[in-house]
Amino acid sequence: MTRGRGWGLLAPSLLLLLVAFLVPVGMMVPTSFRPYVPLVGITRGFTAGHYVKLVTDLYYLEIIGRTLALGFTVTLLTLVIGYPVAFFLARSRSRWRSWLTILVVFPLLLNLVVRTFGWIALLAQNGLVNQALRALGLVDAPVKLLFNFAGLLIGMTHIFLPFMVLVLIGAIQNIPRDVEDASRVLGASWGATFVRVTLPLSAPGILSGSILVFVLAISALVTPRLLGGPTYRVMSTLIYDEFLQRLNWPAGSAQALLLTVMVLALILISGILARRVGARV
Amino acid sequence: MTAARVRAWLLRAWVALVFGFLLLPVVVVVLASLSRTSYLTVPPRGVTFRWYAVVLRDPEYVNAIGFSLALAGVATLCSLVAGVAASYALIRWRVSGGALVSALLNAPLIFPGVVVGVALLQFYALVRFNGTFAGLALAHMVITVPYVVRAVMASLQGIDPEIESAARVLGASGPVAFFAVTLPLARPGIAAGALFSFIVSFDNVPVSIFLLGAGQMTLPVKIFTAIEYGVDPSIAAISTMLIVATGLGLAAAERWIGFHRFV
Repeated sequence: MTRGRGWGLLAPSLLLLLVAFLVPVGMMVPTSFRPYVPLVGITRGFTAGHYVKLVTDLYYLEIIGRTLALGFTVTLLTLVIGYPVAFFLARSRSRWRSWLTILVVFPLLLNLVVRTFGWIALLAQNGLVNQALRALGLVDAPVKLLFNFAGLLIGMTHIFLPFMVLVLIGAIQNIPRDVEDASRVLGASWGATFVRVTLPLSAPGILSGSILVFVLAISALVTPRLLGGPTYRVMSTLIYDEFLQRLNWPAGSAQALLLTVMVLALILISGILARRVGARV
Repeated sequence: MTAARVRAWLLRAWVALVFGFLLLPVVVVVLASLSRTSYLTVPPRGVTFRWYAVVLRDPEYVNAIGFSLALAGVATLCSLVAGVAASYALIRWRVSGGALVSALLNAPLIFPGVVVGVALLQFYALVRFNGTFAGLALAHMVITVPYVVRAVMASLQGIDPEIESAARVLGASGPVAFFAVTLPLARPGIAAGALFSFIVSFDNVPVSIFLLGAGQMTLPVKIFTAIEYGVDPSIAAISTMLIVATGLGLAAAERWIGFHRFV
């Protein structure tokens, strides 16, 4: 077979990526250095001001910090909540196993706007969660669960949990059960076996799952916008407003490129880490 | 043995709780769609299907459904052609730099959607391609092709290349051997890739929202803007329709091709 035909078959996909992905993203670099004058628009010249503002202005630093804090907390929560579920699904011999796995996939494939809308109904002032809290006598006044960190955290943990569980199932399935049995036979307790055998052997999955969830969480637009409203901003909703409301494309481009660099840096770091623990990210 | 049984039950209880958490918003949306009240409330007050009629009589919703189906259909068909060709090249021809190529093909999976959206907003405005259906479909293909490639490659990897060679030895030409032998064998992967692609395109907000021209509206963007405007049970009704459609599609895919293997 000729090598040329291989490239011929790849050509449509590669051309698509070049024209509709690499070039457009690359073209944001020059835009991000153009000055922007309110009521006039993008003007000629060169400025690094949009970047300087991003890393010095407290308003932007708070949004960047909030985005990262949210990404980190969501990752940690999905890992803690999801690990036992993945362990159960990876080890279960039940004939319902594949249907239970499908039940994890279902929310993942369900429209993101619909899932987020469900959380609005749950977390609103008179929502189900506040009704339950008051019925149980835990609170007197409704707790504010929308347009703040708590709301975004709950909603996004729900949105990204299936990703974590699915990655972990794969990793735990790859651990030979013999290794755990050997540890038990040699006298280790269940707890010691879990901490010193199972957990370290699933480290590659923990790393890939965490990077995936973190990257998706800091890039998420729909859930933070709907649960955070127009005022409680994260990086992607900031970019959204900059492009569609304020029409300051140069500043928006700088913010978008910063988010891109953060994502790429994370993937790069995880690649280096992965080589240490033998993971595939 | 008792400690082990306690652990097993604790694990099951945790799994049940987490499944409850995963499905809670879905159940809430379905319940909210039935309320007789004009405001959103759960549990619903009374039972009515009038919100479904409201949605189905609203031309904005009906047009958005049609537009989304057309867009997802076109994006999926084109992604299948490009994605199957790319997967086949990567598996059978071992092109030099194949690892780099597949990394590049998969990049949009983890790339922030909002960045793709704003980048294309600016690019299309520059080349006067903004507001076109083709531009929107191309943008969707950027994010759907990786799903096709991933599922089809998983399927092709399990097919012995000797089978295709046998067809060639028996006199079939290259294309005939591919279309008559390899392609049918890869059908589960292609079906899974098509389903992923369709759902990803149909559900997309972060890319579509920046590229929709005047008179264009996809269903999720319509729901998104409706929520920002103010929530009422009609949004729950259209959401419930999506829940039912997704559930049925997924159940069918699991029955026919064992969908969970491709996730």
